[in-house]
Amino acid sequence: MLKHRSIRPVLLLLAQPPKAQRGLSQLKASALLRTPGGEALHVRCRLLSGQGQPRGPGLRTRLLVTALFGAGLGGAWLAVRAEKEREQQRRRTEALRQASVGQGDFSLLDHRGQARCKADFRGQWVLMYFGFTHCPDICPDELEKLVQVVRQLEAQPNLPPVQPIFITVDPARDDVAAMARYVQDFHPRLLGLTGSAEQVAQVSHSYRVYYNAGPKDEDQDYIVDHSIAIYLLNPDGLFTDYYGRARSAEQIADSVRRHMAAFRSVLH
Amino acid sequence: MAAPSMKERQACWGARDEYWKCLDEHEDAGPCQTLRRSFEASCPQQWIKYFDKRRDYLKFKEKFEAGQFQPSNTTAKS
Repeated sequence: MLKHRSIRPVLLLLAQPPKAQRGLSQLKASALLRTPGGEALHVRCRLLSGQGQPRGPGLRTRLLVTALFGAGLGGAWLAVRAEKEREQQRRRTEALRQASVGQGDFSLLDHRGQARCKADFRGQWVLMYFGFTHCPDICPDELEKLVQVVRQLEAQPNLPPVQPIFITVDPARDDVAAMARYVQDFHPRLLGLTGSAEQVAQVSHSYRVYYNAGPKDEDQDYIVDHSIAIYLLNPDGLFTDYYGRARSAEQIADSVRRHMAAFRSVLH
Repeated sequence: MAAPSMKERQACWGARDEYWKCLDEHEDAGPCQTLRRSFEASCPQQWIKYFDKRRDYLKFKEKFEAGQFQPSNTTAKS
């Protein structure tokens, strides 16, 4: 309370012009005080004014203490917030780790007849396209685009290689031999994947790929309607991005480069 | 029936492009009959149906973008 009350005379002092301040500090306190309850103050001020020291640093000290206290509070708040963010990041990483292992897994045959699952591609960037070999124009165009992206990235020796994959949505016709014939026209590393109807249904469901075989004609030929996208998987096997028909090979290559630069593995 | 190889696909697309160029140049399809036959010979039947539908769609899209289709001004049910 003493501190509180003594602010008034201090403020009065500070309100005076500088020359007057020095003189005032010598004055008897009673000359300054016309405030109510001045008697008690009168005594106290006399005691204090007897020190003969300016009150300025007192105020500064108080302000400094307040500022330090405020900074301490702010620091504590920031620390708590940072810890909360770290906890969220830990939970997110754990969820990603589980998704990396459990989600989007598949069990398919490649175009050489070997069984493949998602874990086989861990450690590699993957560009994946769903289509079928009897496709009139869209699948060849999109695969050509995908392969161009792979070639552009291959031209940069400091970048990791990207694995191009073609998965059929027409397992009835696209067996291992048909896939082998198809992929050879595009890129030596293009991997074709096929399987039973159930396996293809499962992988399409995992990647949210719509497909629907159309009506058959006299030749028993038909066209499969399907969603069109190139999917990017990171080396942890997690779905990272997708590219529709409107994106050019350059745009896709740029996007892949950016993802590669930003990548931090959640698996060890 | 095996799927067309890359060469066969390209032959089909070439024949289709020739046929479509002819259709663009002529009002009616009459003069383009030979090209139509070669188009039909180069491509699987399903593809011919698909490309015909695609051409119709592309023509419609052109007209639509040129603003030749106006929304109806009446709100009365026809």
